[in-house]
Amino acid sequence: MTKNSSAPAIAVEDLWQVFGPNATAALRDARGAGSPQATAEALENKGLIPAVRDARFEVRSGELFVIMGLSGSGKSTLVRCISLLVTPTAGAVRIDGEDILQASEKRLIELRRHKLGMVFQHFGLFPHMSVADNVGFPLKMQGAGKAERRKRAMEVIELVGLEGREDAYPRELSGGQRQRVGIARSLAVNPDIWFLDEPFSALDPLIRRQLQDEFLHIQATLKKSIVFITHDITEALKLADRIAIMKDGEIVQIGTPEEIVLRPVNDYVAEFSKDVAKGRHARVESVMLRDLPTHMPDDPGLRIGMTLDTALAKCMSLYEPVPVRDGTGTVVGAVQPADLAAALQVDEG
Amino acid sequence: MSLSLTRGAQAALLVLAVAVITRLLGGQMAWLVGWPEALTVPMTEWVGAAVGSFLSVFKPIARFFSLLLSYPMTWIGALLGYAPWPLVLGGVTALGWMIGGLRLAALGFFGLGFVVLSGYWAESMNTLALVVVSVPLALVTGAAIGILAYEYPRLKGPVQALLDIMQTVPTFAYLTPLLVLFGFGPVVGLIASAIYAAPPMARNVLLGLERVEHEIREAAVMSGGTRRQQLFLVELPAATTQIMVGINQSLMAALSMVIIAAVIGGFDDIGWEVLLTMRKALFGQSFLAGLVIVVFAVVIDRMSGALALQRPAQDRRVAWAMLAAGLAVSGWALAAGWNPDGVAAFDGVADRVDDAVGRFTATNGAALDAVKNNAMFYGLLPLRIGLADAVLPFTWGFSWTAKHGAIFYGATAAIAGFLVWRGHLTAGLVIGVLAIMLETGISQLPWPVVIVGAGALGWVSGGWKLTRLVVILLGLILISGLWERALLSLYLSGASVVACAILGGALGLWGAVSETAWRVLRPVCDLLQTIPLFVFLIPVLMFFQIGEFSAFLAICLYAIVPMIRYTRHGLINTPEELIEAAQATGAGRWQTLFEVRAPYAAPTILLGLNQTILYAFAMLVIAALIGTTGLGQSIYLALGQADVGLGVTAGAAMAILALVADRLVQGFAEERRRALGL
Repeated sequence: MTKNSSAPAIAVEDLWQVFGPNATAALRDARGAGSPQATAEALENKGLIPAVRDARFEVRSGELFVIMGLSGSGKSTLVRCISLLVTPTAGAVRIDGEDILQASEKRLIELRRHKLGMVFQHFGLFPHMSVADNVGFPLKMQGAGKAERRKRAMEVIELVGLEGREDAYPRELSGGQRQRVGIARSLAVNPDIWFLDEPFSALDPLIRRQLQDEFLHIQATLKKSIVFITHDITEALKLADRIAIMKDGEIVQIGTPEEIVLRPVNDYVAEFSKDVAKGRHARVESVMLRDLPTHMPDDPGLRIGMTLDTALAKCMSLYEPVPVRDGTGTVVGAVQPADLAAALQVDEG
Repeated sequence: MSLSLTRGAQAALLVLAVAVITRLLGGQMAWLVGWPEALTVPMTEWVGAAVGSFLSVFKPIARFFSLLLSYPMTWIGALLGYAPWPLVLGGVTALGWMIGGLRLAALGFFGLGFVVLSGYWAESMNTLALVVVSVPLALVTGAAIGILAYEYPRLKGPVQALLDIMQTVPTFAYLTPLLVLFGFGPVVGLIASAIYAAPPMARNVLLGLERVEHEIREAAVMSGGTRRQQLFLVELPAATTQIMVGINQSLMAALSMVIIAAVIGGFDDIGWEVLLTMRKALFGQSFLAGLVIVVFAVVIDRMSGALALQRPAQDRRVAWAMLAAGLAVSGWALAAGWNPDGVAAFDGVADRVDDAVGRFTATNGAALDAVKNNAMFYGLLPLRIGLADAVLPFTWGFSWTAKHGAIFYGATAAIAGFLVWRGHLTAGLVIGVLAIMLETGISQLPWPVVIVGAGALGWVSGGWKLTRLVVILLGLILISGLWERALLSLYLSGASVVACAILGGALGLWGAVSETAWRVLRPVCDLLQTIPLFVFLIPVLMFFQIGEFSAFLAICLYAIVPMIRYTRHGLINTPEELIEAAQATGAGRWQTLFEVRAPYAAPTILLGLNQTILYAFAMLVIAALIGTTGLGQSIYLALGQADVGLGVTAGAAMAILALVADRLVQGFAEERRRALGL
């Protein structure tokens, strides 16, 4: 085992997934074309489908990494490449420094039994098993005894708030309850790495928000390294530490929610954040001046970490620069109220 | 003008040209009509020799296997034979209770009760013993094949082709080689039914596994299961419903085959009883024995069918009580010295049914004969040998002369010309082809017309690839020397299919427009589909004696069901928005039906027609028992003479006809589906 504590939880390096006949050889030839765009074009001309193109990113330990893209952008394929549900055509996926593409079947099973957990869009519950049996299934694969499975299953079932339904069958549950089972099952073996493939997309909006909040709550205590797939920019911005935006199999931008909203790299990304209330996702720091102006007559009480919305509300009638303080009350920078308003401006284009 | 011809018109034009040429020149050049004897390959002998030597290699193994299988069969036979009927009755009732509560318990009780009273208990138990041994064999083999095809995608194509072939090769054709391999006796029936019952299981296991949700499979992988754990702990259990459907179909196939296999004889089972009484023209007895088979089929079908449904758990204590009651009655019967197998309340009934049928046919004989003769003279015969030969003073009251021919073709030309003038070029050409077919008769069609016609249909429905397949396959029959018999089979199945399509389509339409009609039709369809093939022969034989018309009726009875079902299903299941859109534009009920529902239902109805064709071919062989000519008869004769060559070649020819018809219709259905964007 090549466990390396300083390595990122997941590292993906020039990962390609090409569908079609003789994909490996075709990709090798096409890469002579140079840039990923040229390679993808060459592959498409041959009738192959490059579903994931040259993906590279890292997920730090304890980080909630969201991959966002529309349907057909390759995000589901990407997460299946990382979890090795499909074998990537080329590239490397390192989990704690270990390249799992090189791992034996046995080692993979080992990893899945102890280290990886996954939640599916349509839940993927086993229809012939009760809630407790579903949740206990990964433990059964580990070889745990019946009593032990039941005990641990009850713990996670309680964690997701389903106590009392442990002997129900999936068909007797509502959509939201089913996904709670899916979450509980993926957490049963206490994995370090957690894949969630559009876990809340099949739920109606109210339930979705409720589960998002509970999910954040669970993550706050468990601190897993997470790859979370979604097509919903609001969900991505709400949950993510960092977001990767995918388009046509390519990652077009990786950044914090704030960076995505305030500094989109191109029109495509900008289009997503267009209808998003930027003030709720960007913070004062993004427009803060480090050089303190000499003349600051007002102090509305801005703090580091305050959202733009809150900051703007405090400076509604002010025109002069105002100071920004950190937690201890020390002035660390200044903000022009006009900059706050400008940052919130939704582009009309 | 020729540039703008549609595919269909081009094909029809070609066929019409070939038909006209062969019709005009056929008189001078006999080789244009019948395939010359000199060019016929003795395929029957070759196949006989090849298969024969192949079989002789495996004969010792087969005989050993046969010996091996005879043990469990004897044991189960003895077990069921010696078990007192009250106990078996209690057991089946208890089983019914466990599966489906009061309803199925009652079905089991009254069903088996009927068997007891009929006096055919011992024979029924012999049949049941065959089913009990052959079904597990079929289920295990079928499941293994299904799982292998699923696990190794490379095997899937060949396996599906094999299953297709196994289900198109007529049942009797299996029996001859098996007879040679395993020798006379019940083991042949056992193996034949296991072979016949395995494909539905394999199909359903494969289908069920393929239909397991993607994410369920992935969840099993991500849980860290090994491949075997994924398969046995997750995928197979998740496919249970479909597998249960497979078990149900497998059971029904086995029962059907066990009964058919009775023609080999050597086992005193219920199928043999039917055959024996039928041969002696004891219709009362064969009717009663047939009813016993029907009851068996219904009980087995409904009970195993219920396994695939979502059902509440039943109280076990009730089941134990039923079993205990059966045991108590058996005990009492033994103690009282009352022979529990000797109940035959219907002994007299059979005679009375016999008398009644006899009286009925005696008094209504003239009417029945009139029905039969009219159908023969004005329908079947002209189709078979053509108007030119079928119109005689004895049948139509005058004989067909050149003048009649001229009038006939003149009228045809007028109709066709009118259609072409109105822009229906293809329809006009097709009318021309049909007229020539009717005048010549299907069994006397010149071979170029059949081959070019089928090839042209193939080209229209599926392109060159299908044409090639169709021409090669039919060519094989042509040079094998079985051509004339194949045409005879084609004629009878064709006539039945046309009758089924018209009548079944009408009934399906009726079922679609009237809920009340469907409430009547549905149980009839259910029943007709549950009855083993063999039993259809009894009623037609009772009223119309041996002959082609009886065979025609038996085929129609069996083959009409899919046509009714699919027609109704297709018409009923038009998406609601389409209907609403039609109504919103002011369409009336019938307008909606013909302008919206019917076009949308076309692919489904074509699939129904496809099923009807396959059913007709399956029944055609069984109908050989009551007098048909053609391939079915050859297969049946081959069985009697243990002539492997003839049995296998005729069986293969039959399968080819079914396969060709199947591919052609599927092609059209596929084309319609594509056109509708389904």
